[in-house]
Amino acid sequence: MQFLSANFVILWVISFALYYLVPKKRQWVILAVASGLFYVAGTGGLPIGLLLTGAGAYACGLYLKRSLEAQKTALSVLADKERKKAVKVGFERRRKRVQILYFVLGLGTLLCTKYMVVILPFLQEMGLITPLGDAFFSRVVMPLGISFYTLTAIGYVVDVGREQCPAQENPIRFFLFLAYFPAITQGPFNRYGKLQGELEREHKFDFERMLSGVQRFVWGAFKKLVIADRINLFVGNVFGGAGGGFPGSIYALAVVLYMLQLYADFSGYMDMALGVSETFDISLPENFKRPYFSKSVAEFWRRWHITLGTWFKDYVMFSFVMSGTGRKIAKNAKKRWPGSGKHVTGIIGTMLVWLLTGMWHGRTASYLLWGVYYGVIMCVSLVLEAQYGVWKEKLHIKEGKGYGFFAMARTWLIVFVADVLIRSESLSQAGEIYRALFMDFRLKEGILQVTSCGISKYGFLLLAAACLLWLAVSVCEERGKDVRRMLTESPMVLRWCCYYGVVLLLLITGIYGGSYDTAAFLYQSF
Amino acid sequence: MEEKVLEILEEYCEEALSYAGDNMMEEGVIDSFTVINVVSELEDAFDIEIDAKYVVAENFRNKEAIIELVARLVEE
Repeated sequence: MQFLSANFVILWVISFALYYLVPKKRQWVILAVASGLFYVAGTGGLPIGLLLTGAGAYACGLYLKRSLEAQKTALSVLADKERKKAVKVGFERRRKRVQILYFVLGLGTLLCTKYMVVILPFLQEMGLITPLGDAFFSRVVMPLGISFYTLTAIGYVVDVGREQCPAQENPIRFFLFLAYFPAITQGPFNRYGKLQGELEREHKFDFERMLSGVQRFVWGAFKKLVIADRINLFVGNVFGGAGGGFPGSIYALAVVLYMLQLYADFSGYMDMALGVSETFDISLPENFKRPYFSKSVAEFWRRWHITLGTWFKDYVMFSFVMSGTGRKIAKNAKKRWPGSGKHVTGIIGTMLVWLLTGMWHGRTASYLLWGVYYGVIMCVSLVLEAQYGVWKEKLHIKEGKGYGFFAMARTWLIVFVADVLIRSESLSQAGEIYRALFMDFRLKEGILQVTSCGISKYGFLLLAAACLLWLAVSVCEERGKDVRRMLTESPMVLRWCCYYGVVLLLLITGIYGGSYDTAAFLYQSF
Repeated sequence: MEEKVLEILEEYCEEALSYAGDNMMEEGVIDSFTVINVVSELEDAFDIEIDAKYVVAENFRNKEAIIELVARLVEE
């Protein structure tokens, strides 16, 4: 079920009405039912993958809870400090084993299923296995939201094991946390310690909050329908075009537009998800903080898909570096290379994170290369960070506005190069595009061709106007202004003119298919 | 102890000394690479083991939080 569908709006409106009508202690039940319906409608049957993943995480959580209680009881009857320490270490070791087992099984299953989508059809074609059918793929091999709920479940188990949150005893409440419908298909990744409090507290109806949530939803739909889906017409034509052979200038424009499309599509989805959740008075973590204002790649990834980056940092990077293996590597590296050895575990951890991030995003060699590319850039920039100051001083570079813009442009260029890899249909097409960008730019020919690649002259003008509006909002937010509050506090006539204006723009200028379907969200396929 | 922690921070992340907020990790004042180096130095300096469960934004929100964490682990 897509957010931009009549079915979703019906589900949203009915669950919203019931949510504020039932006794406050039962509000979570409405969300649980709505989440179940949303998910079952999306997968078309029993959600086997979600049930298995959730049951495993739920059982691990209970085991970890019992283990912590048993540890407490065992320690309370001991007086000897050394004996206490030994008992505690024993319990901790057993809990860690359970966490590692679930982590490896969860992440391993996720990565296997991603590659199964490629391997199984191949085996079918070879006649080695019987045809499995689409239902098998959508419900068992690659069910809706598997990339999101698997990582959320792993995070829950690790957090309970680390005593950062209590375990959930009620299985239905646990499944609500895991499959909360605004976040199940594309995130944001929720932490149990934060979301559970939101789901458990009582919520009072507030008209302004409801309006604010709807406002954010509409803004997200605007980004998706007016910007992302319009760009898709051009980008889809150029990258999936018949035979390729476009001038480098057309490819350059297509990649720049793709950078905007990906951002508008994913951040638009997030606006819709957070907006829906806001109407239920449940706040979800922000996933974007205007990433294209970043002055370095590290900063870019702190502002883009924030909850995924935090997940990998907390559960992969730090877990690896602070593990027994990580410590051994660090010790040996420091002995062997006294000056630079301290960076070794950080470099290995960063590369591991980026390889997994690449594999999480896609199953082709291009995504692996994309992960390695970012991993290498991160490592080089972090190791050389101390040198930057020295170089800037030697070159007499002052960090004014000009330098800030240069640093932003440098970040865009790095992202540009990476996005060629993930948007190209294959590595050979990516190679062809890089070649055309450097050796076959043909600017004049590109200008003549630009309006015949899917977007007309007026389409470009409309796109430019929509992007300018988006930029103006982003600049205000970057300067610390709360645009949504400004709008809410503006005179009623102006406010409602803005609301109607955006809705009209959406209806008139949004890109809809023949049956008024929108293009699928890009991150849903990751 | 406090002086030693500040000395380590000064070596790896001078900005942390003047930072007055309470979200150093998420605001990018201290990146994950630096956190790893600071943790390693703190472990060597105070003969403690800082498990991954302690390396969270809450314990690295500012210099005071880091000092608190080290004091707690030294006591244990």
